[in-house]
Amino acid sequence: MKTLDRIKSIVAPLVFGVVFIALWEGAVKGFELKPYFLAAPSKIMEQFLKNTTRIWEATAVSGGNALVGLVIGTILGVAMSFILSRFRFLSQLVTPLAISLNAIPIFVLVAVLNNMYSITSEIPRRFMVTLVVYFIVLVNVARGLTQVSSIQVELMRSYAASEFAILRKVRVPNAIPYLFTALKVAAPASVITAFVSEYFGGLQNGLGSRITSNIANAKNAAAWAYVLGACLLGLAFYTVSIVLESLTRRGQSK
Amino acid sequence: MSDLANLNAVEVTGVSKIFNEGKANQVDALLDVNLTIAPGEFVSLIGPSGCGKSTLLRLIANLLEPTQGEISVNGKTAAQARLDQDYGMAFQQAGLFDWRTVGKNIELPLELKGWNKKKRAARVAEMLDLVKLQDFGRMYPWQLSGGMQQRVAIARALAAHPPLLLMDEPFGALDEMTREYMQGELLRICAETSTTVVFVTHSIPEAVYLSNRVVVMSPRPGRILQVISVNLGSKRSELTRAADGFFRSITSVREALRGTHAQHVASTAIRGAEDR
Repeated sequence: MKTLDRIKSIVAPLVFGVVFIALWEGAVKGFELKPYFLAAPSKIMEQFLKNTTRIWEATAVSGGNALVGLVIGTILGVAMSFILSRFRFLSQLVTPLAISLNAIPIFVLVAVLNNMYSITSEIPRRFMVTLVVYFIVLVNVARGLTQVSSIQVELMRSYAASEFAILRKVRVPNAIPYLFTALKVAAPASVITAFVSEYFGGLQNGLGSRITSNIANAKNAAAWAYVLGACLLGLAFYTVSIVLESLTRRGQSK
Repeated sequence: MSDLANLNAVEVTGVSKIFNEGKANQVDALLDVNLTIAPGEFVSLIGPSGCGKSTLLRLIANLLEPTQGEISVNGKTAAQARLDQDYGMAFQQAGLFDWRTVGKNIELPLELKGWNKKKRAARVAEMLDLVKLQDFGRMYPWQLSGGMQQRVAIARALAAHPPLLLMDEPFGALDEMTREYMQGELLRICAETSTTVVFVTHSIPEAVYLSNRVVVMSPRPGRILQVISVNLGSKRSELTRAADGFFRSITSVREALRGTHAQHVASTAIRGAEDR
């Protein structure tokens, strides 16, 4: 029964996907939709295969920006969550500022950052990704560090455990699942932020810029081919975060 | 009196506890509580909800500080006793660490004491034996039933061989059958390890079955109304539950409690009348 369920969970979405693409193809052909309105999947695939190298290069640029931002943002977020959970008054001090910073639309910040750095710099994009990831990681990990069971803390105090021992043996292990939940959200968000940041000028080497320029040149199918690359990149980031999470979970139920 | 064997396990002298003193939400939890517990004794605290029995337990554990009065454990201050890990503690929820195996959970207090690996492993094996969970050391808490989890919590509380065990409704979340089994197990374990126990409970039969003395407390502010000695001998079994003495003790505890209940109802009725 288990294997049957597994087959169902793989086959059903696969069939759905194939039917969806077939309908798409059929709609474009059947209604004779103009290529600049909606490109046919077959045309998109053709463009994708023709431009694999260029798409790959653009993907590497956007993916690289997303990865750098993701790593730095995670490190900073984890570090800050430790500081905030240790010094509660700091958290009251910083939270309003953090919320208002987070409320600024990405677009505005990218425009400002692009002005601050030279036009050939990747820094504004990486900085944007860092910022987005930082907040997601900070909020989740801080929650994991502080929302520990009160009984477990009382137990540790009954063992005459120091604050540091409580941190090491209760708070940190408690926060680890929260970190992976954060990464599962932050990984796709980092890719999206990297794309969106490219829409506001600067270097024209990433997926986002390629999509805009292809659309501007009425090369709809080519633009969609880059969208496909973007989609694959997002999926790759998400998959890695899920695999990381399942690895730590397996460590628990061994 | 300087003889170590004569040292009281717990001595509570003139203890009062007021939460949020002087504020609008002030709560007088305990009022002038005096209680002396001898080594090896099993003492239950029973009373209506909010009578401060858990508060008294936490004061003995030095997880709270008394507003007034003094508490000594093993002849030391409560604070020193906590630092020396002179007691173990168990709660209604087992409070096991999900990310640690059963064995590692039991090991935790020993890790904090700085024991080496070999000594810890030997003690964990001994404790698993004691609570009859020999084959479960490598499992994770969520793989165990509620009763088994509670046995792990008891093993963990006793891992460092503390002379005193503090328990806050440890069997409150278990079904009746498991509960009676656990009571028998607790008595066996305490007899084997000659541990003194302070046990908070809601259940009259549980208090009587387990205890040498049952401390009946009044509604807030909690005071000790009556201390009832239970004379059922040191060897108790399932037969004890059918003994006349068992029912007599249950009746006296119930009457003591009912008295407090009647008072409680009367006093709230009067207060209600005054409010109008």
